[in-house]
Parts: sequence; C-alpha cells; structure tokens
Amino acid sequence: MKAAAFAYCRPATVEDTVAELQREEAKVIAGGQSLVPVLAMRLARPRTLVDINSVAGLGRLDLDDDALRIGATVRQRCVELDARAGVVPLLRLALPSVGHRELRSRGTVCGSLAHDDPAAELPSVLACLGGSVEITGPTGFRRVTADQFFLAAMTTATQPHELVTAAFFPIARRGEGFGFGEFARRHGDFALAGVCVKVSMAQAIVATIACFGVADGPVVRDVSGLLESMLTDGPDTTEDTVRDGISAVAGDLAYDIVDTDGDVHASREYRRTLLSVLLSREIARAYHDAVRSMREVS
Amino acid sequence: MTNVVPALARVESHDLIEVGFTVNGTPAQPRVAARVTLSDVLRDQLGLTGTHVGCEHGVCGMCTVLLDGAAVRACLVFAVQLQGSEITTVEALGRPDQLHPLQEAFSRHHGLQCGFCTPGFLMSAFDLLSHRPDVTRAELPNELSGVLCRCTGYRNIIDAVDDVACAYREGLPGPGNCNSGRSLVGRNAAGPVSTPQDPVGNQETDADGGGLHTIDAIRLPTSEPTVTITVDRQIGATMDGVARVFSDVQLMARCLPGAQLTDDLGGGRYAGRATIGLGPVKLSFRGVAQIVDQQRDRITILAQGRDAGGSGAQAQFSLAAEPSAEGARLTADAQMFLTGRIAGFGRSLAGDVSRRMFADFAAAIEQAARGEEPVAAEPPSAARLLTAALASRMSAWWAAARSRIARRGAGVQNSDDR
Repeated sequence: MKAAAFAYCRPATVEDTVAELQREEAKVIAGGQSLVPVLAMRLARPRTLVDINSVAGLGRLDLDDDALRIGATVRQRCVELDARAGVVPLLRLALPSVGHRELRSRGTVCGSLAHDDPAAELPSVLACLGGSVEITGPTGFRRVTADQFFLAAMTTATQPHELVTAAFFPIARRGEGFGFGEFARRHGDFALAGVCVKVSMAQAIVATIACFGVADGPVVRDVSGLLESMLTDGPDTTEDTVRDGISAVAGDLAYDIVDTDGDVHASREYRRTLLSVLLSREIARAYHDAVRSMREVS
Repeated sequence: MTNVVPALARVESHDLIEVGFTVNGTPAQPRVAARVTLSDVLRDQLGLTGTHVGCEHGVCGMCTVLLDGAAVRACLVFAVQLQGSEITTVEALGRPDQLHPLQEAFSRHHGLQCGFCTPGFLMSAFDLLSHRPDVTRAELPNELSGVLCRCTGYRNIIDAVDDVACAYREGLPGPGNCNSGRSLVGRNAAGPVSTPQDPVGNQETDADGGGLHTIDAIRLPTSEPTVTITVDRQIGATMDGVARVFSDVQLMARCLPGAQLTDDLGGGRYAGRATIGLGPVKLSFRGVAQIVDQQRDRITILAQGRDAGGSGAQAQFSLAAEPSAEGARLTADAQMFLTGRIAGFGRSLAGDVSRRMFADFAAAIEQAARGEEPVAAEPPSAARLLTAALASRMSAWWAAARSRIARRGAGVQNSDDR
C-alpha cells in the first residue's frame, strides 16, 4: 500500500500550476484525503503530483455580498471553525459529517467538490444552494454553476489541465431555512443516503432538495409544490404536521430519486427507505428553520 | 492548522528531497522520495515507532499524529509536503515517570487490550479535547469515530476520554515530552532511507497479462458476484445490423472505448487490455477473454484480467438483442468478481453510471449496426466518464469486451494512453 513513484512540484502561483498541469499525467493535490488512498491502492499512478499548497491566495476565505468564497486550499476544518462561515448555515450543518475530524484537518472544501464522489456531502451542499465553482486553466478562469459542474460520478467540468481555484457558496437570506441529514454505517463514513434541504419563505415558498449517495452525483429537485401542499395552516403549520404529511409521500419521491444499485452495505430498496425518512425529517426541519428566520428578523 | 509551506521546484520521482520540519520539538531533516508518507518517515527514518501503521489508506486511524496542532492521518500526508511544519507524535505526550492524563486514564479505565490502536486514540482524543474542552460524553462516539479499535468495544476508551474531558474543562495539559533534547532517532538510527526505486515495479510489465495467457479456460468463482449489472436499451438498427456487429469482434472492440485487442490466441480466446479512468482512478487491465457463445442475436464472454497495481477481475458478460418496435432492444448482463484493491475500494458506484456507460457503448453499437463507423468515446473528461464510468466495477467488463475485441488481433482506434 505504498504509492507508486511520482515526480513532485509545489508551484508558487496559479500560472505555474497550470503550466505544470500541461505535462502528461499530472494531477493536482491539495488536501489529498481522497487522492492519497487512491495512490496508495495504486488505482492511479500519475507521473507528477502538482501540490497547490504553496500557491499564493488559494488559502483565502472571503465574504462578498452574495457568497462565501472558499479558496482551493482552505481546509474543511478551518471552514468548520471559522465564524465567517456561519453565513452559510447548510455548510456548517454538513461539515461535521464530512469524513472524520482527522480528515477534515487536511481535506479541502474545493478538493471534495473537484473529486465529486457520489456519496460526498459537499457537492450536494453546493448544488442545493445553487453555488458555483471557479476553474482556472491556460486561458484564464471561468465560473461554472453547480448544475453545470457536476457531470457524473467523480467527473466534473474541470479539464485535466485545469484546476478548481475557488468555490462560491451563496449566503443565506432572511426567511431561508436549512436541513441536512445522512445515514452512514459509522459516523464519518460515506453516506448510504443523505439530503440537503433549502426552504425559502421570504416571498413565494421555494423548497429545494439535493440528495447524495443515491445516484451518480447530487440529485437536485424542486419540491416547492410538495411543501406548499403541506402547509394547511399557512406559516402556522407545525413542523410535525409537515413531517407527517411529507412522510406519506416521501416514499414515492425517494423511489424516483434513488438510482444506485445495491451494494454490500445497502440494497436499493433500503436506500429508498432511508432517503424517504430523511426527506420528511429534513424538509420539515428546514421549513421550521425558515419560519423561525422570518419571525426573528421581522 | 494551515502552515504555508514554501514553493518547491519540480523533483523527479527518483530524487531524494531534504525536508526540514520539527518533530516533538526537535528539528529533523529526513531525505525522502516524494512518494514517502509521513508515517513511514516517522517510523523508518526517525525511529518513532509509536505511530502505528494499519491500513495505510486513511481508514483505520492508527497513524494519527498532530500536524501544526491538528490531528491528521500520517499515512495520508507525504513527508515532502511538510517543509516547516510542526509534528507531534504519541511519544511527545508523556514520560514514563509522568504520563499524560490521557495515558493515565486509558490505563485506569482499561481503554486498551492489544494496544495497537492506542497511539491513534490518544492523539485523536488529544486533538479533540484541546479544541473542544466542552465536549459531552454523548458526542464522544461520533467524535472518536476516526479511529478503529477491534478489542475493547470502545466503551472503556470513551470512559477514559470522558474522564479526562470532565477533569480538564479549562483546558487539556499540553504534551509533556517535547523539547526534551533527546535524539529523535530510535531503533533505526542508520535506518533505511526510502529507496527511490520502486521495488513493486512502477513500470508496467508489458508481458502477458500476468501469465493469464497460459490459462486454458476461464473459470468464474462459484461465490456471489461482487457486482451484477443488467441494463437494456432500445436502438434504432435492424437485427441484421446487430448480427453483423456481434459477428465481428474487431468492430465490437471499436465500440468499446478504452479497449484494445493485442492478440488472437485462437479458439475464441483473445488477449487485450483496457484503460479505465474515473476521476483520479486510472487502471490499465490486461487480460484474456474467451467467447463461449456467439450467435446472431447473442454473445457471451468470460474474461479475466489484472491491473499492474494488483487489482483483479473476472467476469461473465452477455449481450443480447431482440427485435422491437424501434428496431432492436439490446440487453447486457454482467457478473463481476473483483479481487485486490478495486474490491476494497469499490463502494457502490451509482447504477446510473453503469447505465450511462452502457448507453454509450450501445450508441456505438447502434452506429456500427447501421454501417457507420462507431465513435467510441475517447478518454478525456465526460467522454472518459461514460466510457469508463463504471470504473472499478467495470474493469472486468472491459477486460471482457476488450479481449473479445481482440478476436482478430487487430488494432483498435483507442490507443492506450500510457
């Protein structure tokens, strides 16, 4: 379980990084928490590893008007502990479930997005919020929205000679609420099924879910109509009522969403059951959170 | 937590690089090849064998150390990445005559039996309590889930950590054995410098698919397959067209992206290879396929292949066509038996991926059945995905297809990208 030999460089700038990536079979390493196991198992043997941990500016966490900008080498645990990240509550809800603490010390948010494991949490967080990713290549950088970025399992819009330089997570607004839940065999393992939920009560009711671990990438669905049909007492409807109402139909929704075949850990049917439970629980929780957010500020 | 390391110009895989960092308060300058992990440097070069190595791919947590104050897995960090960093290992926690409170608590609560996981738990717990002195007992099972123990059942470990947490709400004492001035080098003073050569053979043996050529008949295991895939797709081509493709192994080969026939071994057996790329995963399988049934509307292949990295695959792969309103309905059944690292790596990759991949293959067959030259997706990015999508799982499948492709020993449009 030792990685095959590789050449190594640690450029100081994004330009130099892109230049190194022009070489044959060069691979970016940031936190390496997904890549190094792949190397150790010799499922990959790149000729060159291009370490971006010395690249100036990639370690920055910035807030702009609309989004939290997370640079490519910002560790997951830094985001977890940084008060500024509180403006993206869904990210804070999800991060403790991303691997183990020891992995988050080193693993990066952007790396998780770029790796795009179908069972990973962060791609679904980004997809649920409608965030975007900055990709830099030889001709400069481009911004790609989540729905255009995640193409399929472990495959993104990033080309071999490009790297993800930042991710943008939209800041939560008044009247928005969030839910996050997953089932894993052990805390920190890849989820058998998981869901991110965003509900906005600010004007029209808007509810979005993004599911992970159940298909070859984040599965995003608009469930505004479903949620609205549950609000029999308008915004006074209780969380319990919403949860019970959704649980009656969540099985059908889960049936439609779960697309993965069974494996040694869970059959397809079991994943559907797990997802339906998570859907009713977390949509209701996000609804409750949104109502609270509305009342808090008004 | 984030120490910015200085830039480093390119070093070749056979070069040794001197890396300067601090271990338990003492400076160290090991010379390492780029591929050497921190855990190996600690144990083999610095003699600090308290850091245990279990799985070597980030699952077990035995090798947990502190890197710039935060717990990390030492097997998932390359030493070359650590210029200027500060590393703390279990040796720094306490002295024999004055153990760290965590060590005392593990002893008092019998938080270990064989002791193999103890360094990992101590360092993980140290990290936890230094960052979150207010952690509750109820949170401990999740917070300590990054380290595995196969003896204790965890209860005594949790008791021990909870005990220390309750006793030190104001802050956990730091490591009691840093800067002690002692030499870092323990057992392996003149220990082996990590060899730049790769004893396992990084270079691919181009030989014969690992001796697979000599196999008389491919026999599949009688156990449950690791992966079973059934997919079907309607294609707009006539049954005659499909029959033409099924009868032409070379043509079928060209429908399968990443596959290459290398040899016709006679008797319906072919040698070939297939490259699979999925994200960082890249496998190059060599193997043999045997056509056991070939009809106008059906073809069945047994295949066996091996990747240079030690992953193995065996498979039965059937492709069948029947007339339908739209022309023909293609059905694929694959049963795969995986061994080695791909088997360990393989969680369920979404069934959707396999269907997409098959869709790509079927589309190429459809083209071929219409008499057009099939356009099998060539590696990069999305195309590679479709092709290779199934990645690990599909390796056997590829091996099968590819080898089959090899039937007439002709070249295939997809070149191996190695």
